[in-house]
Amino acid sequence: MFDSIYKWLDERLSLGELTAFARKKTIPLHGQSFWYYWGGISLFLFLIQIFTGILLLVYYRPGAEAFESVRQITYVMHFGWLIRSAHSWCANLFIFSILVHMFSVYFMKAYRRPREIGWFTGIALLFLAALFGFSGYLLPMDELSYFATKVGLQIPSMLPFMGHFTTNILRGGPDVSDFTVQRFFALHVVILPLLFLPLLGLHLWLVQKHGNAVPPSEEAKPLAERKTVPFFPNFFQKDLAMWLITLNVLALLASIFPWDLGKQADPLASTPDGIHPEWYFMAPFHMLKVLGNLLPGATGEVAGILLFTIGLALWVVIPLYDGESRTGTRGRNAHYFGLFAVTALIITTALGYWGIR
Amino acid sequence: MNYPFWEVPFIGSGWVIGMIAIFHVMISQFAVGGGLWLPIAERKALREGSKDWMDQIKRHSRFFLIVTGVFGTVSGVGIWFAIGLTHPEATSTLIHNFVFGWAIEWVFFLVELTTIAVYYYTWDRIPEKLHLTVGWVYAVSSVCTLVIINGILTFMLTPGNTWLGVAGTGQEASKFWNAFFNPTYWPSLLMRTLVCITLAGVWALITGSLIDNDKQPDFKASYLRWTTRWLVPSFVLMPLGLVWFLHRVPESQRALLSLGMSTIGAGTFSQVTRLVLIMVITSATIVIITYYLAYKNPQDFTLAHATAILMLALMATGTGEMSREMLRKPYVIGRHMYSNGTRVSDVANRNQNGYLQHSLWLNQQVSPHFAQGEAMYRGQCGSCHTLTGYRSLNKLLAGRDRESVGSVLTMLHEYKPDTTYRKFMPPLTGTPEEINALRDYLYAQANPATSHTTAPPTLKSQK
Repeated sequence: MFDSIYKWLDERLSLGELTAFARKKTIPLHGQSFWYYWGGISLFLFLIQIFTGILLLVYYRPGAEAFESVRQITYVMHFGWLIRSAHSWCANLFIFSILVHMFSVYFMKAYRRPREIGWFTGIALLFLAALFGFSGYLLPMDELSYFATKVGLQIPSMLPFMGHFTTNILRGGPDVSDFTVQRFFALHVVILPLLFLPLLGLHLWLVQKHGNAVPPSEEAKPLAERKTVPFFPNFFQKDLAMWLITLNVLALLASIFPWDLGKQADPLASTPDGIHPEWYFMAPFHMLKVLGNLLPGATGEVAGILLFTIGLALWVVIPLYDGESRTGTRGRNAHYFGLFAVTALIITTALGYWGIR
Repeated sequence: MNYPFWEVPFIGSGWVIGMIAIFHVMISQFAVGGGLWLPIAERKALREGSKDWMDQIKRHSRFFLIVTGVFGTVSGVGIWFAIGLTHPEATSTLIHNFVFGWAIEWVFFLVELTTIAVYYYTWDRIPEKLHLTVGWVYAVSSVCTLVIINGILTFMLTPGNTWLGVAGTGQEASKFWNAFFNPTYWPSLLMRTLVCITLAGVWALITGSLIDNDKQPDFKASYLRWTTRWLVPSFVLMPLGLVWFLHRVPESQRALLSLGMSTIGAGTFSQVTRLVLIMVITSATIVIITYYLAYKNPQDFTLAHATAILMLALMATGTGEMSREMLRKPYVIGRHMYSNGTRVSDVANRNQNGYLQHSLWLNQQVSPHFAQGEAMYRGQCGSCHTLTGYRSLNKLLAGRDRESVGSVLTMLHEYKPDTTYRKFMPPLTGTPEEINALRDYLYAQANPATSHTTAPPTLKSQK
């Protein structure tokens, strides 16, 4: 019976071509192969986000009732707490795994010709993921999310020329309010997915088109010495195994450390101690803070934004600088720049947390 | 009450035991399962006359000796330190009852440590058959350590009616064997044996992953596939063991599992259900991914894969042990001693004459009222709660005024049969004055602006 169904489908959809492609596709096998899983893990976490996000959407009500609806999801609906915790934890794991994926791509020099567009779309996806995180964080409208968003919006407001304009559009007024929730909600469930999905499609198509890049150490070997495994079924099985492990980690975090819901946000209350943005915004936030302290007034803010923008821009355009393989000096410089970026991110994040301790 | 309190900020003293114990269990159960693995693998190698196998078993035995002989023994001693400091009363009860059991166990420990050293250092130095016999001596003695410690661990969950009948009479040790072969002894022994066999396989995957695939592709495949089979008994029998175990657990403890299905709260008791579910999910995951990674694709199996499986095993072991501990609530020794060290039989006396009647450990630097409250907190709350970290009392009591903190304490003190807290928290014992001192102490901690030097409002009797 299955055979006849398969034949019927195959005749119309050419499934055979797909499986033939999957069988032909190979994955390089070497000491650094472990890093190949992280793109897949990020994808898997994104799928979980869609699934849990849709479930939350069933009960969430943006606007004035935002807090009350999240309270109901957390305390009244059966397993609502689990879905909400899974969504929040998954968001953090998602950004973490994209960061790991990005740095592994960077150090394996997988952005070099012809994979530049893969790199650009990847960075855009990370940027969108951060926006997903930022917009989703406010939605429960509890004390922490309210004040953290207020503080977090300081970053775009420091943008030269258009800072206040952008921030006001995002906020829907001079202060974070029910309008902000409404806007962030629209951003979170409509605009960002609309931007994210086609970009993700392009990103994945490029990966299929160009295949996995190998690190320079492997590239140096003659072709005959390089090893590969077929994508299907060998690597696919391992990919699934990694997804399963990821799911276990998520289940453990979400069920043992359920996401807290604080008090309802009170705009008139004073900002509680230790309010800070999520960990993935800590580095830029802290850099701005430090520069703001070093240089007086607006100069510090502009300098901070400028420095950060330049760093980010350099990071994005690295394939244009180090685009050809085996160009010694440029490759090395890019490598040092990567090390510097990782160190700077870790140190500023740590200092940021140290400061609010 | 005759012991000083050990207060560990933020994580709480319970987690000190937990962290050492989870680490220890991972290794000690490997010591038992791996003890069976070594002679069985060696016999296989001898029968097949395979040099590849022999060399690999030698490598594995060195790894085994270091992991179990160093980390296993050190963490075992660590547990003694931690439980003695955290639960002196419970530890004292265990020692009084099981000193003979531990004496036997230490004999087996000595045999274990000696034979594993002999086993490793006599490779190729004594006749093959004799060497294999040394392996079997190790295996038997390490199984015996499990057989004994299992009696003591299960006793704490289900001491059994016979022992409880003599508890507090000074004749406890006369019912040693009843306490030892208590209601959950056999199902627990089955489950632990299965876990040991699984861990033997999981740890052997670590050494197996290091076999060079370019040089020995066929051997790597056959080694990993053979080792993967060690996970099969668990896969088949573990659900049975779990059902048997839960069937033997008293109804009141089993009810705890359904209590936590749909409630929220980090660090609250409702977690036991989630922990059990995680344990089941993680165990199933281990079997599935071991099948795909090691059995189906042995040639591509790397140390990273093996480590991932080991980490999952750590998750399964950790959640399993944690849920076993939590299932015991509100007791540390079932129906005999509450989780804060108060004996069930002492409750009335302490309510009458005071919890702190024999306490030598009152803080002399602060007002007597504050010192009383602090000692009450350390003695009766501190074994499960911390002020600012794990199960933070400051957080749990946030937003309550002094009266409201008092009513929570009254509820715990009265311990009425219908209160939900009764299912997982011990009663609060002490005189009304002591309970008021605790109330003021906790209120002052949760509201730092209220200094302990300010006089509390008129104390309302708690009775």
